Amino acid sequence: MTLPAFANEPVLELRRATERSKLEAALGELKLPLRVPVWIGDDRRYGDELVSTDPGDPERIVAVAAGATAEEAAAAVAAARAAFGGWASTPPTERAAALLRAAAWMRERRPALAALALRECAKPWAEADADVCEAIDFLEFYARGALSLAEGSPLLQVPGERNELHYAPRGVCAVIAPWNFPLAIPLGMSAAALATGNTVVLKPAEQAPGCGLRVVEALRAGGVPAGAISLLPGEGEAGAALARHPDVATIAFTGSGPVGLELLRTAADVPDGARQLKRVVAEMGGKNCVIVDADADLDEAVPAIVESAFGYAGQKCSAASRVLVHEAVHDLLVERLAGAVDGLQVGPAGDFASDVPPVIERRAQERVRRYAELAAGEGALAGGRHVLPRHGWYCAPVVVSGLPRDSAVLRDEIFGPLLSVESVRDVDEACDRIDALPVALTGALFARNPRTVARVVARSPVGNLYVNRSTTGAMVGRQPFGGNRLSGTGTKAGGSDYLLHFVEPRVVTENTLRHGLVV
Amino acid sequence: MTKTLEREIQRVGSALSEAFPSRRGHPIKVLDERAMDLATQDAELRAALFRFVDVVPACRSLDDLATHLAGFLDEVSDQPPPLSAAMKMGNTKAGRAALGAAGAAGVRHMAHRFIVGDDPEDALATLKGLWREGIASSVDLLGEATVTAAEADRYAARCAAALDVLAPAYDAMKPDERLERDSSGPIARANLSVKVSALTPLLRPEAPERGQRDAAPRLRELLRRAARLNAHLHIDMESLDSREAVLELVLELLAEPEFAAAPSAGIVLQAYLRDSPETLDRVLEWVREHPRETPLTVRLVKGAYWDHEVVEARQHGWSVPVFERKADCDANFELLTRRLLEARPAVRVAIASHNLRSVSHAIACNRLLGGADSDLELQVLRGLGDDLGHALASAGLRVRSYCPVGDLVAGMAYLVRRLLENTANESFLADQAHGVPLEQLLAPPATA
Repeated sequence: MTLPAFANEPVLELRRATERSKLEAALGELKLPLRVPVWIGDDRRYGDELVSTDPGDPERIVAVAAGATAEEAAAAVAAARAAFGGWASTPPTERAAALLRAAAWMRERRPALAALALRECAKPWAEADADVCEAIDFLEFYARGALSLAEGSPLLQVPGERNELHYAPRGVCAVIAPWNFPLAIPLGMSAAALATGNTVVLKPAEQAPGCGLRVVEALRAGGVPAGAISLLPGEGEAGAALARHPDVATIAFTGSGPVGLELLRTAADVPDGARQLKRVVAEMGGKNCVIVDADADLDEAVPAIVESAFGYAGQKCSAASRVLVHEAVHDLLVERLAGAVDGLQVGPAGDFASDVPPVIERRAQERVRRYAELAAGEGALAGGRHVLPRHGWYCAPVVVSGLPRDSAVLRDEIFGPLLSVESVRDVDEACDRIDALPVALTGALFARNPRTVARVVARSPVGNLYVNRSTTGAMVGRQPFGGNRLSGTGTKAGGSDYLLHFVEPRVVTENTLRHGLVV
Repeated sequence: MTKTLEREIQRVGSALSEAFPSRRGHPIKVLDERAMDLATQDAELRAALFRFVDVVPACRSLDDLATHLAGFLDEVSDQPPPLSAAMKMGNTKAGRAALGAAGAAGVRHMAHRFIVGDDPEDALATLKGLWREGIASSVDLLGEATVTAAEADRYAARCAAALDVLAPAYDAMKPDERLERDSSGPIARANLSVKVSALTPLLRPEAPERGQRDAAPRLRELLRRAARLNAHLHIDMESLDSREAVLELVLELLAEPEFAAAPSAGIVLQAYLRDSPETLDRVLEWVREHPRETPLTVRLVKGAYWDHEVVEARQHGWSVPVFERKADCDANFELLTRRLLEARPAVRVAIASHNLRSVSHAIACNRLLGGADSDLELQVLRGLGDDLGHALASAGLRVRSYCPVGDLVAGMAYLVRRLLENTANESFLADQAHGVPLEQLLAPPATA
């Protein structure tokens, strides 16, 4: 099977009115609410224990889902375990073909899928479309990656022995996914596991069961066997039950730090009679910093920082939340950032003119407001005078400067439209402060002296460092994504190493010497 | 008509070419001596030079400048001897001061070729000199990007102040029938080019109406002032991301009853865009529906954001919106030229190009269509098209020089764009400077 080289699925050219109207038509045609079952093998149980609503209009119900019980989690794992032998022994080319067909299924439905992500998670149009594209990218990229992984890895050979290294799937993979990239991330983690021959139980975020349903539909439409991919909508307990299950070999998780650490602890607890060590592939939060040196081009830095901090209301793990700026340009940068933030329009995700959509839920809105109040008390606040739509979980975007060094605003992941700015003596002081953080996901540097760039690159601990651009928008195959330190297990989604987390290496050495003769 | 047209193009082109100042005076040759020649030949060096020019205004001291220069030159793998010498200077404080001063002086020197003054007052001497030589102008106020409402207000205020300075200054100049009248009537003397991206921080490619709405009040004020002062206001076109917003904004405002008679105003059509013929359809349709006392001026340009458009499209996997072969773009330019000339008197036509073939084509085509020379305007860029401008003026044609005004900080992005153009291998000016024979320069675009 030779495939054309991987290329990213092109996002829609939304600067053209014709493309925009296609999306708006798809939103009009979206039939809601979706009914989302617990879907194990060929069994579907519908229910209404879990409801997702439009964050911009909480009265609008997007999906009505069954909430999986601990017994259903066990049943899903059992089904995945039963299907494992068959899927693991399916030739890699056939598995890859199934993923590519799933990609084609999604490609045919791009506007409708984007419209669903928009409704369920308030992803603005451009980001919703990008999420669909990234989902397709993961399918295409991991299908290819699995094929080259299937060729094994060359070993040293000497006369009289034959050495082979090949990679075998690990078994059942529990995929526990977030809501902020409601299609791309669950599909990416599932696709990586499936491409390498594992079977999957997907627990989508409780805020996004509708998108989770589409992920499973895509994979099944592509030809992944029913037992190999099950859907377990539910809240945290369903995920915890899944992770604890002794027959789960791998936990692929993207989400908050506390949950990720809990999963790591769960996996580390090896009960008597266990037959496998659980592996955790975890992507967690960050406290992402942008360094702005005195020679930075603020004309470029300001829009890039605004995009990094306020795109999707700051609800990306890659979003920027701190700016560390050289004292020589601090005041100017704060003034320009504040002015730019004043111009942001807070509004529904479906309005192309909105810059800042609502946050995901009431709890998130309360959290962001709490931090904004704290910031206002401790520092100088700019922005925040925006007109907010009456319904929906909207938060005004704010920029705060002059915070005390020990402020919680500078430490906690707020996951909302709040950006802090600190003045530093120089780039080295900025690097010191970043180095003091326990997390290391993304970062950006605005500077034009190549020697400064080299110095920061050498000192930066983050998984993804961006020079003279925004911290968000990593692309499959171009910016393998994932953090270090407490931000994650150092995995790189969308990179060539990612699949290695889903397999175990096996080496076979055969003695080819027989009676002194090499046979 | 093809044969006759080609013959006429040859005739016009040869005559213009003879009116050019001597080769030694060619902009590339004088522009800057060796640096430009070196830069054209060596991509790494070219990159280092641009990055240096780009960062000059952000440097806080000569030492800082020199450190940057040394940093950029570090990345040039094959350093010619003068550069190695420069690198050595970067090792000592005194050396850095000298190097920084030399670098700053070099950039300032280059900038002054393209930028006629720090502000409109400062530019008047040059503008008056041009008028005396039979060349009109359009002043363009350079500025940093607009990211806040306050910045948009400041730019609008600078534009208003510029009109206040330019209008009386031009009123006081000696009459020049060629520069101020065509068969549609009088032509405004004072002429200001403005950028919508500077009039609003809210240009969003996927929501054009937002920037449009936000820029409208500022542009409306400028139109009123231009009408009052009898000046021309030209709205520049920028990258494709903002085209829809800019075009809609201008056509919408000019359709408002208060602007039916004045001011004289204009827009830009970019021939490098594959869909520019459709844009022209849209404009001509508007013109038919909104007859104006002073016809809308359409400035035809090739387009200055070619690299940006190609890179953006490639990064996103979009089809490239601009012609990728120079000949295709040149052919489209000629096609649009002809359509514009034929659309008169509903529009006024300004052909802005430094390509001798494109310019000769416009002049020849106009004559064969029976148009008067005075019903065609030719535009050149200050610093790049000065020789062509003078040759056209001495041939009795109406020429307008696009004159950027602004300080060094504001001017850097503009300067970098001009330098890029100037060192591009495919540039017409480069061909001309390197002695490509006239027949070849005037040959029709070889489209596939």
